[in-house]
Amino acid sequence: MTRGMIYKAMFIVAILVFAVLLILPTVGERELSVVFEKDATAEQMADLEKHLTNIGLVVTKTENGITAGGYGINDAVMNEVKIIPGVGDVKIIPHWAERSLLAKKMNLGLDLQGGMNLVMRADFESIERRQEKELSDSEKMDITQQALELLRNRIDKFGVSEPSIRPRGSEAIEIQLPGVKDPLSVKKAIGTTGRVEYRLVDDEYTRLAGQWLGANIHRFKDGRIPESAEEQYPILAEAAKAIGLPAKDELLFFYERAENTKKILPSYPIALEKEVALAGNDISKAWVGHDEYGRLSVHFTTTPDGASKFAAVTATNNHGRKLAIIIDEKVRSAPQINVQITTGQALIQGDFTLDEVNTLARIIKEGALPVNLIVIEERTVGPSLGQDAIGAGIKAMVLAFAAVSIFMISYFKLAGLIASIGLLINIVCQLALLSWLGFTLTLPGIAGFILTLGMAVDANVLVYERMREEQRSGKSPRIAVANGFDKAFWAIVDSNVTTLLAAFVLSQFGTGPIKGFAVTLSIGLISSLFVILYITRYVYELILLSKNLKKLSV
Amino acid sequence: MERVIDFLKYKWITIGLSTAAIILFSVTTYTRGGFTWGIDFIGGVKLTVQFAGTMNPSDIRRELESHNIKADVQQYGREEQNEFIISSKLLERGESSEKSAEILKEALGKTFAGIKILATETVGPAVGDFLRKSAVKLMLIAIVLMGVYLAFRFELKYSVGVMIAVVHDVIIAFLFCGYIGLEINVPIVAAILTIFGYSVNDTIVIFDRVRENLNIHAKSAFKQILNISITQTLSRTFITSITTFFCVLALYLIGEGTISDFALVMLVGLVAGIYSTIYIASPVVLLWHRARGNE
Repeated sequence: MTRGMIYKAMFIVAILVFAVLLILPTVGERELSVVFEKDATAEQMADLEKHLTNIGLVVTKTENGITAGGYGINDAVMNEVKIIPGVGDVKIIPHWAERSLLAKKMNLGLDLQGGMNLVMRADFESIERRQEKELSDSEKMDITQQALELLRNRIDKFGVSEPSIRPRGSEAIEIQLPGVKDPLSVKKAIGTTGRVEYRLVDDEYTRLAGQWLGANIHRFKDGRIPESAEEQYPILAEAAKAIGLPAKDELLFFYERAENTKKILPSYPIALEKEVALAGNDISKAWVGHDEYGRLSVHFTTTPDGASKFAAVTATNNHGRKLAIIIDEKVRSAPQINVQITTGQALIQGDFTLDEVNTLARIIKEGALPVNLIVIEERTVGPSLGQDAIGAGIKAMVLAFAAVSIFMISYFKLAGLIASIGLLINIVCQLALLSWLGFTLTLPGIAGFILTLGMAVDANVLVYERMREEQRSGKSPRIAVANGFDKAFWAIVDSNVTTLLAAFVLSQFGTGPIKGFAVTLSIGLISSLFVILYITRYVYELILLSKNLKKLSV
Repeated sequence: MERVIDFLKYKWITIGLSTAAIILFSVTTYTRGGFTWGIDFIGGVKLTVQFAGTMNPSDIRRELESHNIKADVQQYGREEQNEFIISSKLLERGESSEKSAEILKEALGKTFAGIKILATETVGPAVGDFLRKSAVKLMLIAIVLMGVYLAFRFELKYSVGVMIAVVHDVIIAFLFCGYIGLEINVPIVAAILTIFGYSVNDTIVIFDRVRENLNIHAKSAFKQILNISITQTLSRTFITSITTFFCVLALYLIGEGTISDFALVMLVGLVAGIYSTIYIASPVVLLWHRARGNE
């Protein structure tokens, strides 16, 4: 054995170990950590313990809760525990492989584990208020349709894969998200419009509105500015009237981050021109960066049209004035204009968190929703196919693997056995890659996976058939192996590259099952290429080391 | 040299056979009133139903299937509420959702006592017009890109042969769904895409042999070289088809509902794939070759 071969062996073993580790978060033991509510009774605690033991978990008590470990812990189990009386907080403790290897857990799709059912409706009232007229039914339908297409993209970009999004009736949108870990943040991410606007500030009226609010703040609940837009609206209308705000202007609230809660809260009213100086759709590219103070900000490049608008608003006659940045009807910052910006490059500054800038940059790229969405219904839904479908899928996979292996071994003898082992390695590698991507598995996905088992041995068959031919024409085993791999090489590469090309194009398909399908297909191809061209070839190099090998068993 | 089977002798018969199958499938699909699109594509009706006791969603689904109704059943809310969402496409063409709801209720009422329909709603398609159009567009882009790659790696005539074979298989599989009135939902589309990949693989393997044999048998007629290549790769074609067939069979036997449909369409595609490689792709290359005045 040469040194190169030993290195190769080490590399292959390392890859396999790594692959197995990556699968651990999906199939291995996991832990669920439960914290009780302060007033939970002993009875409730015992009930929970019984529930957890019943589903086969090993329970250990902690200071103010329970940790349960075992197989089969998933989001559905977590959600079930969440609603048991006396339970405060439930978390699935990340598997160590998740933390140290950035591995992810493979998720199950809606059909296999169920999820969250959200029904949303566009906030037509706010549009009607802004446009000062009632919307017709067809306008409402158009808005809903527009929001729907944008949502499809947006939900996918937030890493929730395989959602189901469909219109319900003519004005509502029904969204089902499989096993969502953090429903709150997803709801927030899909519900906000992400509309970004730049508008000029009117300092004089801002001062007057501030004075008015100072004099009237005691009239509001708790002596604070209310947080909901519905309650703010009459206040702003009253203030505008009181200070005699001109028709070209509008009052909005300036938002600041509270020191203690880190929430952004309305802090004072600000008078803005109604005319939008620059809007989100004038921006062509957006990315996250830092401003000159080292704060997180969103950098952007405008469209050529946007560049000229931006140059106009930052022209000399406006120097010294403030330009407010409004995100979702909230004024987040209002920097002073000091220089004219003609390059179309600028940044959105403000007191942002990392999550906020990421979301904002992404939403600007995706396009803002025409309107805010309101959640009108929210409930969990069970799987449409259920546990027996997963069982059937596994059974079919085992059956398919067995049939393919038996056939390959009876036809190709030892070579068939090598192919079968290769196939097993292939399955492990595919599962590892899918886990790493945090892929969402659905029943059609499992079916596609099983199907690739049959097609994966194709490369083996191509090589083996060539070896047979070579051997038949009297070549030595060494030449037969070399020629077998070399002559089959281009057929294997060409056929896989074309399929990969197709898969790549299909993965550009914005959403859902087709995209998922393209991903499984690509992963299947890449992993089977690796197994046949690298691992199987290596096994044959090992076989050829034997000095008295007269004939290949193929 | 071993025995060479003259596959291309029957090229006109086989091209005719394919054409006949496409015409037969199209006509049957047409007389049936077009393809049967599922709820994913045309939307349908959604019922929220409360049952009297604890139910398993699979049991409800199977019960409906025995009444020839294909529906998705999901538990809604907590288990003890016994509420389920049952969604199905409109059961009768052009009927209102209320009518479909009635049919569903009647079918359920036969077996399950004391069911209550809490809500009836129409739902739109999960795959909207926009998505459908972009899917078709992307599929065309994929075919063209593949064609360009193959034209670069092989020659234009082979690339055309592969593309025609692929399109042939996809059309056959798709029309087959219309022929037997299979409901087309997203998994079926996935099956058709798999056929796409499989069919290309198969064809390229043969053409790779042709490319090689053109040097070895430089003096033979092109038709003879095609025949030699098909014969040489025949055992590989069968072995890969058999292993894939095993997998499809496993899916067909164990899976139910959607997955058996998926497997059935795959099976048709598998057969079409083998057939088209030998009897469509190769004749196309030969005819193209001859049309350019070669022999």
